[in-house]
Amino acid sequence: MSLRDALTGRHRVKGPAPDRLFALSTAHVALETEQEVTSKGIAGIVFQPLRTSDFESIVKDMEAVVKATATDLGATVETHDDSFGYRWMVISDREIEDLVVAVNGVSSALVAGGYGERVLCAVFAFCGPRDPKIYFIYNYKRGFWYPFVPRGPAADAQRSVERELQIKAQIAGELPIEPELERWFPLWGIPF
Amino acid sequence: MAPPKKSFGRDTGLQARMLVTMFLLGLVYAVLIGVLFAAGVGGVLLIVIGGGLFLFQIFASDKIALRTMGAREVTAREQPLLHATIERLCLQADLPKPRIAVVDSTMPNAFAIGRSQKTATVCATTGILALLEPAELEGVMAHELTHVINRDVVIMTIASFFAAIASMIVQFGFFFGGGFGGGGSDDNDGDGMIVVVLVSAAVYAVSFVLMQALSRYREFAADRGAAVITGRPSALASALVRINGAMDRVPQRDLRAASGEMAAFYIIPPAAKRAVSSIFATHPPLEARLAALGRLETQLQAGR
Repeated sequence: MSLRDALTGRHRVKGPAPDRLFALSTAHVALETEQEVTSKGIAGIVFQPLRTSDFESIVKDMEAVVKATATDLGATVETHDDSFGYRWMVISDREIEDLVVAVNGVSSALVAGGYGERVLCAVFAFCGPRDPKIYFIYNYKRGFWYPFVPRGPAADAQRSVERELQIKAQIAGELPIEPELERWFPLWGIPF
Repeated sequence: MAPPKKSFGRDTGLQARMLVTMFLLGLVYAVLIGVLFAAGVGGVLLIVIGGGLFLFQIFASDKIALRTMGAREVTAREQPLLHATIERLCLQADLPKPRIAVVDSTMPNAFAIGRSQKTATVCATTGILALLEPAELEGVMAHELTHVINRDVVIMTIASFFAAIASMIVQFGFFFGGGFGGGGSDDNDGDGMIVVVLVSAAVYAVSFVLMQALSRYREFAADRGAAVITGRPSALASALVRINGAMDRVPQRDLRAASGEMAAFYIIPPAAKRAVSSIFATHPPLEARLAALGRLETQLQAGR
């Protein structure tokens, strides 16, 4: 933020950062072969649904397009609204490349509609031999990835930072990892 | 590809008023510095002492403020909803996560302090957590995070620095007569002193009004920022109405006792209802804030 923006209290919400989403398409190979961390074949993208007719129609068009593309790829798409008022587009497909393409389709449609700044992040579900849940979260504002490993029941919010840091150490060469730990935001209540 | 929509959340008039206010403050302070230098050693010494105080205020005031407020930092396990709400807003606003604290008080309120994004603390009272719906709480927290983004604490501290010096001079001038201003080496010390005290008093009075105006503009900017971050101006409006309604019913003693300086950082100042006249208020009147949020909602609904 520039000095002038700070002085005048003018704040704009960022749109999506330079796209490093596709880095996962190649990084998942290393995850699988070196760490036995495999895709669960499900991913989601989170955005703020605005309560305006303009936005609703863009989302409706976007959903139609994504569903059509998904069917071509053999994928399924579901929509969830979570308790924080954010909307999830959840995509299931065995191929991780297809998941990345579908997620990118959602964000591109929102950007094209002029609502790119409403896109929060994309979440890809993985699991390992000792971890039932490993999520890779792509922060659209920053264009960085970070791992999120929740532990225990959903009501008792805990994460294994140790495991996350191990994963970071092993994957940092393949995936652009968020350098600031205080931006490794957990996402509770991921609907998959 | 649709053209980027930029008009939402912009208010050139507000930004212009803010810059003019800051310019006037700077001008008033320049006069004060000029007079102090003209008065000689004593004035310069005062600036040095004041500078030290200022640095202290910038670097230590947040901890002191939190302690006076009785704020306690809370973990995600104690306040999962508050943490999760703020985390998502931080993702959206591209902020590092601030520390999160809670004050045990029935008064529904929230404030943000800290000189930078990395050292910021966002604080809510138990009263506001119990009072608001999740979407309203999100609006209020987005308002506080916008204060962090806009560096309002630093800006208001800088803005009040010379006003504090001016008030010191006035007080010392009254207490010690011509006691400072060159250690009696000069023969016209007395007259010079009177001029310095009079100028300081004028500077203090003018800068006080300007600072209150600046504070109000920054409140509008924070409301606007919250609307831009959440995309839900009406949720914040609804929160303001609800807080305001609750303020009338909740006893007003506890927070106000220690609040004086803190009031500028509240979502709604504890004494807002008593503000004699709007030019002496740190916050704009509720009606004006609701009207501004209403205009944002209209812009949003019109597809911007």
